[in-house]
Amino acid sequence: MVSTAFVTLGKAQAKALGHPDLPLAVIPHPFGRRTRDEVRGIAEQCVAEIVKLVEGKA
Amino acid sequence: MSVTSTRAVFVEAPDDLDEFNRFCEERRWGDGLPLVPPTQERVRRMLATVNRQPDEIIAVIPPGFGAATVEHIAINAVLAGCTPDCMPTLIAAVDAMSAREFNLQGIQTTTNPVAVWLVINGPAAQTLGVGGGKNCLGQGARGNATLGRALRLIMQNIGGALPGDMDRATQGQPAKYSFCCAENEEASPWEPLHVERGFARDDSTVTVVGPAGTTNMNTHDKNADEVIRVFAETMAHPPSNDYWIGGEPWIVVCPEHAEIIHQAGYSKAALKQALWQQSKMRAGRMAGKDFERTRYSRRGELGEIGPDTMLPISVKPEEIGIVVAGGPGTHSVYLPSFGDMRSVTRRIG
Repeated sequence: MVSTAFVTLGKAQAKALGHPDLPLAVIPHPFGRRTRDEVRGIAEQCVAEIVKLVEGKA
Repeated sequence: MSVTSTRAVFVEAPDDLDEFNRFCEERRWGDGLPLVPPTQERVRRMLATVNRQPDEIIAVIPPGFGAATVEHIAINAVLAGCTPDCMPTLIAAVDAMSAREFNLQGIQTTTNPVAVWLVINGPAAQTLGVGGGKNCLGQGARGNATLGRALRLIMQNIGGALPGDMDRATQGQPAKYSFCCAENEEASPWEPLHVERGFARDDSTVTVVGPAGTTNMNTHDKNADEVIRVFAETMAHPPSNDYWIGGEPWIVVCPEHAEIIHQAGYSKAALKQALWQQSKMRAGRMAGKDFERTRYSRRGELGEIGPDTMLPISVKPEEIGIVVAGGPGTHSVYLPSFGDMRSVTRRIG
């Protein structure tokens, strides 16, 4: 799971670790200035995608 | 974990220096400054200074997990302009940098400006031409300039931390070109860093540290307690990573300040204790969000944290790093740290 600013890093590091096709869940950047409610909203939007990734269905 | 090849590949590159540098620039092998061509002969001269196999892996460097073999280190040392006798120091520095507590993965990929600072102790400083006196964090000495540069090229070319790609630094800092000095052991009234860490005085060592920057602390005061007070007040600044995580801040004490503090009866340990106590910062000085973050990150260490809690800069006083360096003058340097980093010292050779 990476924020948009770290997608390049996430993809490059997955490749370096031998998993070039590793699916990534991408969340909007930055997190720092968001309220707790906004963060909760992002989490709710992402949760289904993350569950799919964890279950290997993505 | 996959590791890139352990043997260097021979590549035909242009003989002309301008063309060679363009060739490297296209492949992103450099730091923006002209490079020295790593010919087979130059690399051989580097390898001849160490009794190791060229394909021996010293460390695997994140975030790209490239294998830092002796030969790969030698090639980057040539690129940076090092003299061959720098090799044992670079090998020790790469080994130190890969220690888990240094957190190289974090240092290489963070948005923080953190750079890797090399501190050289013992006789190697003089042999390698690494200065610890006048302008030791500035330009002018080949050892300071090339050792730090070589380490950066190793981090980038072997570790894969290319700026803007896997190196996510928001601005970085000039010290990411090179950051290396010796301790001015002759001018220090205290035991030098490597002796403090259990090495013999005539051992040579390299210490890797992760500072987020350098701040000048100029005071003409001759009263030790006043000097310590202004050091401590400089350390206590709210946006420092050290306070929200309990870090490892460093001070380069200039010889004149060191003498004043020593004359007043302070050992190095007593100075650390005084700085740790006096640099405690009221948690409420942090921005609201950072205060919230600190409440969670240091709860295990400090218990419930409120706005009036006085946060220590590091978990223990011993985790404040002190070296004596510089020439004449009343300028000491504060180096806030990346926070999630502990410096590592290794013997050279």
